[in-house]
Amino acid sequence: MTLGTLIGACGWEAVQVPDLNAEATGAYTSDLLSDVMAHGPEGAVLITVQNHTNTVAVCTLVGAPAILVVRNSEIPDDMREAAAREGIALLRTKDDQFNASLKMGRALAAGKQG
Amino acid sequence: MNAPGSQPPVVPDDRPELGETGNDPLVLLELIQRLKVRDVMTPDLVTLPRAASMQQAQELMRQKKISGVPVEENGRFFGLVSIDDIIRALVAGTIHESCGRHMTTKLVVLEDDMPLSFALRYFDRYHYGRFPVLNRDRRLVGIICQRDINRALLVELTRELQRLESASVQRGGEGAAGSLYLLREFPICKYDFENAGKAANQIKQVLQEKQFASKVIRRIAVAAYELEINLCVHSDGGVLSWQVSSGRAEVIARDAGPGIEDVEWACRDGTSTANEWIRSLGFGAGMGLVNVRRVSDEFEIASKKGSGTTVKAVIYIEGGAA
Amino acid sequence: MTMSEVAEVLQAEVLVKGDGLLRRVGHVMASDLMSDVLLVDEEDMLLLTSLASDQVLRTAQIVGAVGVVVVNGKPLPSSMVNVANDLHMTLATSRLSKYDACVAVHAARHPL
Repeated sequence: MTLGTLIGACGWEAVQVPDLNAEATGAYTSDLLSDVMAHGPEGAVLITVQNHTNTVAVCTLVGAPAILVVRNSEIPDDMREAAAREGIALLRTKDDQFNASLKMGRALAAGKQG
Repeated sequence: MNAPGSQPPVVPDDRPELGETGNDPLVLLELIQRLKVRDVMTPDLVTLPRAASMQQAQELMRQKKISGVPVEENGRFFGLVSIDDIIRALVAGTIHESCGRHMTTKLVVLEDDMPLSFALRYFDRYHYGRFPVLNRDRRLVGIICQRDINRALLVELTRELQRLESASVQRGGEGAAGSLYLLREFPICKYDFENAGKAANQIKQVLQEKQFASKVIRRIAVAAYELEINLCVHSDGGVLSWQVSSGRAEVIARDAGPGIEDVEWACRDGTSTANEWIRSLGFGAGMGLVNVRRVSDEFEIASKKGSGTTVKAVIYIEGGAA
Repeated sequence: MTMSEVAEVLQAEVLVKGDGLLRRVGHVMASDLMSDVLLVDEEDMLLLTSLASDQVLRTAQIVGAVGVVVVNGKPLPSSMVNVANDLHMTLATSRLSKYDACVAVHAARHPL
């Protein structure tokens, strides 16, 4: 499912999306970057409250196309710059990790059916 | 509670004297260091000379209900006749022979001016039921057994408790009836992650036992936990204390360093001086003081870079926001 | 939905029954930042987390959580089981990812 479709389906804020056609094949919810590094599946959108440049670095490592920052957390400039450099999309929602995961799950499931 | 290699916390001088801290393990520790063997031992001794028979020793033990008879002459100590020695003599048929011949001589003795903590170590190490006590001149002055220690500690602790209760009445200016008084202090060591939060958990358990309102319990517990973690993660070690009296719960964190340079900044959302590995443990997001303020009815913080920090959170038990 | 039903849905192994196994789950929180957990005012919370540390349990007790499920099939340090027992905190582990766990719990609570 493309990021563009996902954003449309879930209503995420598109903070910085370099490529709306980038593919998302799943999602991974974690605030522990060590955990994302160890288990983050390639192509999964990272759902997290961690708004640091390190989050971007880890996404590059595991091949995550986008970061969905939850609880309306502020996204600092250095994170934006890092994401722009690495071509990783930044999305945001006021939902918490649990509800964001549910919405993502519904959208991705619908996408698979369609 | 100390992590290996860490120093015990140094606290500022205005902390309450040990002895005002109620049923805190520190009080027990201080007691067994302060009390000497001579404060605890049985001084009035029943003894026998070497020439007395083992049977006389047996009689004495039965009459006086003791488990050992020291053998001494004019204060000069020679040995001890124990129940084991008696049994052996009965079996071997030597019960009419002298104490001097059948007593135990290979003995561990204690000195009367040793702190009780030393004596406890001996009890632990040697598993004897009793130890003879000698003074500086090597004269026998008493005998100490486990029962003496238990009795002395009970007496001292009761005394401490009575002192506390009368102090609380004076401090509050209220009658003891109707004013709940709880006070507990916990030393918190720097980077002691194994125990981080344990004090707050204990505080919550006590609050639940005392059946305070659940929302009040939550707020006190959160304040205590956040302050405890702060002490562990950001200070050189300190003390977390809490008390309840006159409808107020106070949670106070005191440390002796390193001090906060910008208190305003520290109390702001999301600001933290925590480094990477602390964050990897799940701490250091910078919400601590903000959260403490959020759950408290009154919040005070005082700190100076290079010296200590004191944070006080007050939660009203009745009449405040539930 | 009770903690024990949650454990079933998540194919989770219950390591410590605690006081919460038969209690109803209210709010669900999926977070690894204990500081965020301490900000929540909900009672009867289920905590889904990737963080396998004693502090998770201590934080859970402070906020009155019904139970903790550690996800991603993470092996837990033995100290966690001891702490959970001390605090009577229901503790389980699941091989599911946190994301899949969220979806699964929700699906079980709101069957189509």
